[in-house]
Amino acid sequence: MAEFSGHLSLHAATRAHGRTVLAAQSFRAPYHLSKPYWDADTRTLIAQVVNPTAGILSGDQLQSDISVDQGAALLVTTPSASRVFKMKTGTATCRQQFHVTADAWLEVMPEPLVPHRGCSYRQTTTIEVAAGGEIFFADLLLPGRVAHGEAWEWKSLCLETTVRLDGELILRERFHQAGDDLRALAALAGSGPSACFGHAVLIAAARPADAQWRAAVNALHGDGLWVGVSVLRRGGWSIKFVAHDGIRLRRGLREVRKILAVHFPHLACDPRKL
Amino acid sequence: MTSAPVTNTDETHTRSATDAAWLVGLLQAGDSFYPTGSYAHSFGLEGLVQQGVVRDRATLRDFIFLSALPALRHTDLPLAAHAWRTFGEANWPRLGELCRLSSALKTARETRAASENIGRQRAELVAGLRVHPLAQEYLRRASTENWPHSAAISAALEGRVLGAPLTAVLAGISYSTLASLLSAAMKLLRLGQNAAQSLLTEALAAMPALLTAAESTAFDDIGWFNPWLDIAAARHEIADARMFIS
Repeated sequence: MAEFSGHLSLHAATRAHGRTVLAAQSFRAPYHLSKPYWDADTRTLIAQVVNPTAGILSGDQLQSDISVDQGAALLVTTPSASRVFKMKTGTATCRQQFHVTADAWLEVMPEPLVPHRGCSYRQTTTIEVAAGGEIFFADLLLPGRVAHGEAWEWKSLCLETTVRLDGELILRERFHQAGDDLRALAALAGSGPSACFGHAVLIAAARPADAQWRAAVNALHGDGLWVGVSVLRRGGWSIKFVAHDGIRLRRGLREVRKILAVHFPHLACDPRKL
Repeated sequence: MTSAPVTNTDETHTRSATDAAWLVGLLQAGDSFYPTGSYAHSFGLEGLVQQGVVRDRATLRDFIFLSALPALRHTDLPLAAHAWRTFGEANWPRLGELCRLSSALKTARETRAASENIGRQRAELVAGLRVHPLAQEYLRRASTENWPHSAAISAALEGRVLGAPLTAVLAGISYSTLASLLSAAMKLLRLGQNAAQSLLTEALAAMPALLTAAESTAFDDIGWFNPWLDIAAARHEIADARMFIS
């Protein structure tokens, strides 16, 4: 079976007409980039990253580096879930880096990660935001192929996220747990056998309406969805959610984006427009 | 039956006296009488009680074994172990990194503030009660370089000042963390003293293996994930009524 050492490099910048363009781009399989779309209503460039192979396989080494220049606004999304397949031997890795300069906006909203039974996968995410830059980064995790009765059965799953604002560490999260441990925690919390996780990180300057949107997001709690918003140690917010299934998880994230879009207009951009 | 003759050389006597000095210091620091302010925190437990997750002894036991012990194993104890070694090397830039990491690992504001407030109070107590240059230098750097305080790192500082070995320092952190949690649980749940002590005994029995694993955790491997606890802690910030600060 083919092993990929794929890379994706995108650099978004503004041009004289005021629109955001991809000033530089480079990618190699399994990454593929659809033609970007300029959303005039929200003044955001949508870039859709596609993995034309079935998913992530043993030996794959993926690396992406996405940066946004001053004045530019970019939404990076994927059209479908990222499936990590069973690995008899070996492992797969993904290293993704995001850089946001001052007065730039980046939204990263991929479809969920789906770790299959027996997979071994490590994903390292590093987000560097300059003072005055803004990002909405959403990460969704399903417990497996729930429709096949498969959940929490990965061999090894390590997801690490590091966020620095103006060079200072403001968030570090490390998920490296056995499926059995999470299954037991989900049972204790009453989230059911197919609980799904989401974490959205919003780095943005404080706004007068922060209390307002925060109350609205907190009000989403219930009906199969746990939601909690808390301020990070500097310059941003953590919005965590747990849902009893993937449909509720996606709906929860859509609702969060809709609430936030009133105050962060780039979030009104429809990622499914392409 | 015969017994081995008792020997009490000057060397063993001196070692016993030294061990007793740090031992009584750790006992003092681990007691609820020691004013670090930890009695005012439930560290997310009250939030989970409000969400109906922890309701009784059985669910509290699950919480301790599925969440509190793994969090100690993967976060607080490794942070303290790294800090204890780093204080020994007086590697101040690394200590600054550890302080920021300790804060960044806590996404919920109340959980982060609990650690910072307890950490600050404990570091100031160490500097005031034990008048040690290491504690004074730590406080000076934390202030001038704007390091967030951390309960785990201040516990390591106190251990270093007392001359306590690493395993004893980590055991002290484990005891005080679990005792604080169970003390809060007795106020939040229908849980008697004997039930709390039986849970404490059971949890402490698991500690030796956890301490060994925590001591060898690499810097990059520090961290653990419990989204329900983080969400409950975040929602505790907006609770209509509450008994604890966190």
